[in-house]
Amino acid sequence: MIEFDEPRRRPPYETMVPLINVVFLLLIFFLLAGTMEPSEPVKVALPSGQIDDKNSRLPATLYLEKDGFVWLGKNMVPPELSGLMVKGFMKEEGTDRIAIKADQDAPADALLTLMEGLRKAGVKEVTLQTESAR
Amino acid sequence: MFEEPIRRRGLFSLTPLIDVVFQLLIFFMLTTTFMHTQLLTVTTPAASEGGLPQDANVVEIWLMADGSTRVAEKPVTADGLGAAVKAALGGRMDLTVSIFAEKGSRTQAFVAAVEAARLAGVKNVATAKVDKFKP
Repeated sequence: MIEFDEPRRRPPYETMVPLINVVFLLLIFFLLAGTMEPSEPVKVALPSGQIDDKNSRLPATLYLEKDGFVWLGKNMVPPELSGLMVKGFMKEEGTDRIAIKADQDAPADALLTLMEGLRKAGVKEVTLQTESAR
Repeated sequence: MFEEPIRRRGLFSLTPLIDVVFQLLIFFMLTTTFMHTQLLTVTTPAASEGGLPQDANVVEIWLMADGSTRVAEKPVTADGLGAAVKAALGGRMDLTVSIFAEKGSRTQAFVAAVEAARLAGVKNVATAKVDKFKP
């Protein structure tokens, strides 16, 4: 009678090793390449720009929506009133630096109204967040 | 006689490790962002238009409601803005660039105007909003 060789049994974990390799690689990629940001109250499409004034001090961030409304934390206010509310917001956030994330299609007069309000609240300079155009 | 000792498997179980690594992977995939944001510092404007310098040492950039831009009252394209600001300054960095945003102009145009002035080398950039372009 012809005898066939019995197929060799593979150890059960051998096939998992390439999978683990790839998953680790992906994990390390996301760890190194990405940055973590706090969740945003609204989605804004940032304007594109070239200049980057680096600043390490953490700002309190205001959001200016496409329709001209301003978000301070979780509160939405019209730009005319934002100056009055921003002082309390800055105290809450523990900073005197303000960054504005304005939508690229937001009305410029709403942005300027907001900045005038900030001037009244004692903020001399603000930083606008832009997206790298390069 | 004696029972043979139970043979331990050569590898310990990898399943919990894979579970944890997958969890971490999914967490980082969902929370990371790859967008590179920049900061543009702008001086906040005084509340009224009267606060702006109105003398001859000013180069005016007008952001019109229709999306166009004017430098020293002449219409310019988005690409020609930087060159037009430089030409209007004529090498004098002590001048002030005033940016007037007409009602209806957009933030992108405002950012482009501020950057054009900054890239031209000007220190003083003033901003104001106006209802209508007044030549």
